[in-house]
Amino acid sequence: MPRRREPRPAPALELKTTRFAGIQIILNSTEHAALNTHLTTLFAATPDFFGGEAAVFECGRLPADAAPPDWAWLVQELKSRGLNPFAVQNASGELAAAAAQAGLLVLNAAGPAPAPEPAPPTDTAPVPAAAPTRFVDKPLRSGQRVYAAGGDIVVLAAVSPGAEVIADGSIHVYAPLKGRALAGARGDTSARIFTTHLEAELVSIAGVYRTFDAAPDTAVAKKPAQIRLAEASQIVIEPL
Amino acid sequence: MTTIITVTSGKGGVGKTTTSASIASGLALRGFKTAVLDFDVGLRNLDLIMGCERRVVYDFVNVIQGDANLHQALIKDKHADNLFVLPASQTRDKDALTSEGVEKVLKELEHQGFDYVVCDSPAGIEHGAVIALTFADEAIVVTNPEVSSVRDSDRILGIIQSKSRRAIEGREPVKEHLLVTRYDPKRAHEGEMLTYTDIQELLRIPLLGVIPESEVVLQASNQGIPAIHQKGTPVADAYQDAIGRFLGEEHPLRFVEYEKPGLLKRLLGGK
Ligand SMILES: Nc1ncnc2c1ncn2[C@@H]1O[C@H](COP(=O)(O)OP(=O)(O)O)[C@@H](O)[C@H]1O
Ligand SMILES: [Mg+2]
Repeated sequence: MPRRREPRPAPALELKTTRFAGIQIILNSTEHAALNTHLTTLFAATPDFFGGEAAVFECGRLPADAAPPDWAWLVQELKSRGLNPFAVQNASGELAAAAAQAGLLVLNAAGPAPAPEPAPPTDTAPVPAAAPTRFVDKPLRSGQRVYAAGGDIVVLAAVSPGAEVIADGSIHVYAPLKGRALAGARGDTSARIFTTHLEAELVSIAGVYRTFDAAPDTAVAKKPAQIRLAEASQIVIEPL
Repeated sequence: MTTIITVTSGKGGVGKTTTSASIASGLALRGFKTAVLDFDVGLRNLDLIMGCERRVVYDFVNVIQGDANLHQALIKDKHADNLFVLPASQTRDKDALTSEGVEKVLKELEHQGFDYVVCDSPAGIEHGAVIALTFADEAIVVTNPEVSSVRDSDRILGIIQSKSRRAIEGREPVKEHLLVTRYDPKRAHEGEMLTYTDIQELLRIPLLGVIPESEVVLQASNQGIPAIHQKGTPVADAYQDAIGRFLGEEHPLRFVEYEKPGLLKRLLGGK
């Protein structure tokens, strides 16, 4: 009997750096009741929207003397909604210590600080887009995801519900946008999203996102639209 | 040249096997040498629908593992000349269908001068379904008029365009066809189900046909005779039209409009 040719064995383990897109969970409060209420309203419309996505808690907006939240509870709540928080960033002092205790990675921590520092800037340093534009001319179907690292993306076919377009720069979809679009994935707040037919499940710019219930704003629903971030970190959707 | 047609959907119970049996039979009736292959390891139902379950001696996995040759395993259909069935295996091992093995069988069928090979895909988007679409030249995506079925079809279309050999080798992409099955014009008209135009708008691939919901399908499968042989029934006619379109003919859609019974008119005896 013919024997299958064995491919040359790859080393069992390799290390490479990677940047992956995930979700930022920006904490504005650590108070249990407030978090609990907001979690419920935030996820009510799309209970299992984030199919196992990785997530990081952004603590930069919290007051310097904020008491740590019940990290274990918070992680559990988010996991039950399909998000996988694994780290905190811009956390220090007690906040960071409690997070580490709960098994979370502490990113950008400058070691245990005796006196809490003033709150760092709200977002991580923006990475401006520089790479060449990425073009996609086939439909993006449910479950598919494309990522334009370092630059813009132009999609010339429809983005189905459940599909995802991510770019470090801006996103242009010259067809129905029915899935998710995440521009400025590494913090570029000047990134924008354009589409000739807005019917998205979610849009996000530099981590600020908005989901849509069955009926988005009638002025732009299924019409050409531009999505950008206004001064106060607010998603603005305008007809084109 | 053999054309490999994969009948797929992502979702189970939408009518893939029914469709594989009828499309393969229809192609054979038109004179094409056709084989229909059951990729649903562990669930032998194509042979039941084709009415050849008693004649199964060897199966797909036996051929791949070299226990039998293709000639021994292919079952000649009773209702159509030119048609041969390769039944699924009842082995529990879902990985028994290797892509090398399947490729070898397909090459052999090409060598034997088959015009069409119809692959009946299992449900899901895992190993078995991917193997069934790996070598496809054309894909018939079977979809029911429900949101969940449309979503699964969308997903499988993405998989076809990324995991098929044609995609991987950068050749001309797999040709996609939408077949809406179990269509009930009345329920679609009343908004209880998606209309076929809704489905086409959501999936944006060419419509091969619309097969109406009908008891004929169940009766046919109980008899072990593919529905396309039930001459004069809407289901058989709709499958015939779909095959015609597949071969490039033009046929207007039938059995898709709901016609309100003209009760008042009849009562009044109006002309
Ligand atoms: N057009 C139809 N009208 C009524 N019942 C149908 C029709 N097509 C399929 N069915 C029924 O639906 C069920 C699933 O069909 P099958 O072809 O086995 O689907 P799959 O292979 O996708 O799982 C069977 O009971 C079959 O009789
Ligand atoms: Mg089946």
